Amino acid sequence: GALRGAIQKSGSRLLLLLVVSNLLLCQGVVSTPVCPNGAGNCQVSLRDLFDRAVMVSHYIHNLSSEMFNEFDKRYAQGKGFITMALNSCHTSSLPTPEDKEQAQQTHHEVLMSLILGLLRSWNDPLYHLVTEVRGMKGAPDAILSRAIEIEEENKRLLEGMEMIFGQVLPGAKETEPYPVWSGLPSLQTNDEDARYSAFYNLLHCLRRDSSKIDTYLKLLNCRIIYNNNC
Amino acid sequence: MIAGPTGMDLWQLLLTLAVAGSSDAFSGSEDSSGNPKFTKCRSPELETFSCHWTDGANHSLQSPGSVQMFYIRRDIQEWKECPDYVSAGENSCYFNSSYTSVWTPYCIKLTSNGGIVDHKCFSVEDIVQPDPPVGLNWTLLNISLTEIHADILVKWEPPPNTDVKMGWIILEYELHYKELNETQWKMMDPLLVTSVPMYSLRLDKEYEVRVRTRQRNTEKYGKFSEVLLITFPQMTPSACEEDFQFPWFLIIIFGILGLAVTLFLLIFSKQQRIKMLILPPVPVPKIKGIDPDLLKEGKLEEVNTILAIHDNYKHEFYNDDSWVEFIELDIDDPDEKTEGSDTDRLLSNDHEKSLSIFGAKDDDSGRTSCYEPDILETDFHVSDMCDGTSEAAQPQRLKGEADILCLDQKNQNNSPSNDAAPASQQPSVILVEENKPRPLLIGGTESTHQAVHTQLSNPSSLANIDFYAQVSDITPAGNVVLSPGQKNKTGNPQCDMHPEVVTPCQANFIMDNAYFCEVDAKKYISLAPHVEAESHVEPSFNQEDIYITTESLTTTAGRSGTAEHVPSSEIPVPDYTSIHIVQSPQGLVLNATALPLPDKEFLSSCGYVSTDQLNKIMP
Repeated sequence: GALRGAIQKSGSRLLLLLVVSNLLLCQGVVSTPVCPNGAGNCQVSLRDLFDRAVMVSHYIHNLSSEMFNEFDKRYAQGKGFITMALNSCHTSSLPTPEDKEQAQQTHHEVLMSLILGLLRSWNDPLYHLVTEVRGMKGAPDAILSRAIEIEEENKRLLEGMEMIFGQVLPGAKETEPYPVWSGLPSLQTNDEDARYSAFYNLLHCLRRDSSKIDTYLKLLNCRIIYNNNC
Repeated sequence: MIAGPTGMDLWQLLLTLAVAGSSDAFSGSEDSSGNPKFTKCRSPELETFSCHWTDGANHSLQSPGSVQMFYIRRDIQEWKECPDYVSAGENSCYFNSSYTSVWTPYCIKLTSNGGIVDHKCFSVEDIVQPDPPVGLNWTLLNISLTEIHADILVKWEPPPNTDVKMGWIILEYELHYKELNETQWKMMDPLLVTSVPMYSLRLDKEYEVRVRTRQRNTEKYGKFSEVLLITFPQMTPSACEEDFQFPWFLIIIFGILGLAVTLFLLIFSKQQRIKMLILPPVPVPKIKGIDPDLLKEGKLEEVNTILAIHDNYKHEFYNDDSWVEFIELDIDDPDEKTEGSDTDRLLSNDHEKSLSIFGAKDDDSGRTSCYEPDILETDFHVSDMCDGTSEAAQPQRLKGEADILCLDQKNQNNSPSNDAAPASQQPSVILVEENKPRPLLIGGTESTHQAVHTQLSNPSSLANIDFYAQVSDITPAGNVVLSPGQKNKTGNPQCDMHPEVVTPCQANFIMDNAYFCEVDAKKYISLAPHVEAESHVEPSFNQEDIYITTESLTTTAGRSGTAEHVPSSEIPVPDYTSIHIVQSPQGLVLNATALPLPDKEFLSSCGYVSTDQLNKIMP
């Protein structure tokens, strides 16, 4: 009688302990759902990675907006470089969601691949942009410094995104091909107007793609880290 | 890539139009023709957008509804008319979410009676301008102690149509505030959160706040929210306390001054009674009967005497005199010439001193020269009485001296054949106690003895010869040098000295298991008193093993050839016995020539006589 009661008590206690521990563990899993054991580097938490990525993408977007406005103020005023209507960006081929519903329905794996593709596709153009802006006659330092900064930050963001990808989707192979930029000849043409137009277009595309990356990243952050409750 | 030649044509047309109209597209100048123009296109949440235009001045002239707006997107290569002219109000076109595509360039055109009057190109992400925040309110955080200032927390909600939770849009807020009667708004730094504290607002003032928001990374703010009025309910009617403040400060100051004045008057006044009452003197530590001045002057003796009266005061007086009692002469070291003093004590008649020293049983003075430390413990009593302090034995010794003299007289009669004694004649029987090293008596003493004996045979020279050794000096080697002739005081009268004094010594002596030959036993028998004296003397002689040493003996031996030296040599002069054989370091066989041997068996066992045997011998 007494023994049975004692066993029951201990059993209930054990059960309680088990439940509590499970709750705690589950809580931990929910809060940081993606950092499985054995997936290599889990030193930086996913939350921190996302925070940093959001900060960097926000910074890139700011820089590209400023650079575009600067260029527009200097070189495009009065010349009618409404090139955005004519030219498309080299990354337009990527199937990026264009509105909120589409983005909501896109799986975070796809979104991350798209982000990575965008970032990778801009490595080359950014490098050439810096080179060519340097060679531009009377290029203002504001544009050049921002171009250099954007190129650097783009690499950082790419690294961060790859880390996030490794943590969120461990083992998944990210082998999406990214669009190749082929606008270098237009940047180097002797025709000044054409060249300026090419620059304008490139800067406009950069601004737009940086906005895309920024939005997609915020979306992922709120979805993965904050559970759609930012 | 743009598909189709028609698209290309369309875009070129657009470009032409754009170039043509770019100069005054957004210049804001009023069109003289009065045509409608686009005023603003705006997306509040990045999901929908709307465009607005103005009516032309000549609105009345034109037929209503003739104004149309068309739009075109890059992916939709054709102009389409505005899907919703109504939702956004008059002269507007509303594009709902299905028509909205972010990051897609749009171009719109406005036609009036078929004629393009305006156009515009944009992307949706560039025209984001959120609605004003809602739910602006405030809560009280805390009120200062003075009840003059307060801290509050202002809160609001983002515009409802913005999907902040999902992260589709990130909003940035700007708060403005001012006092009610002010005209200029003050603004705070942009915030990303929907609440902000405001500190140190005056409770008696009223404030106004308003907030607006914009998408982060864009430039255009949305409209301001409604103005919020902040008024604090009157806490207490004592808000008027600011006007009149009780002059506590002045009262305190005057009070302190008055107190200070009063104190000064009291202190320096001559009213001792009041002074004592208010400022009682601090009691100094005091012990009954003691004048503190004594302590100050440092007269400790007086203080001590006074303090000694008290029972609980224990003071030990250490005067210098008492130290003398406790001084212990370290005479353990034989190298020290302390034996000189011992010798004097041995021979002097200063009984008191010896007695006094003897009485000090707890010290080693005077005895350490005679004994090794371990021996002292073995038989304290015996050592005291017999060996120990030579001084102690002195009184008896003196008697023994006399007895020996008497003995000498007798022995001389019996010692003609002493010359023939081959054995060295021991000046004295060396009685050895257990642990004592034996003095070496070698044949060197024979001649000495003989010579001495010769001397002794001459009774006339008796007076000049000492019959027992006196320690005159201690050689550095540790040998006692005995010198004769110092004391001629021995006399026959002393022969009559009773031996009772010695008796106890003898008894004690025997108890010590000392070695002595049958000769000694004979002595005991035949010369009962003398034996005792002798026995008594012997230990006095041989307090230490160094009394007779090789050195002294050899010296005497060396001088054997020269008889004349003999008398002056420091040879102990025993005439009652002589060493026959040195059997062992602890046993000497004494020559029995000096004394007749009553029993033969004693001869054979000469050297060692046990107590039992001695008892047989003894009558």
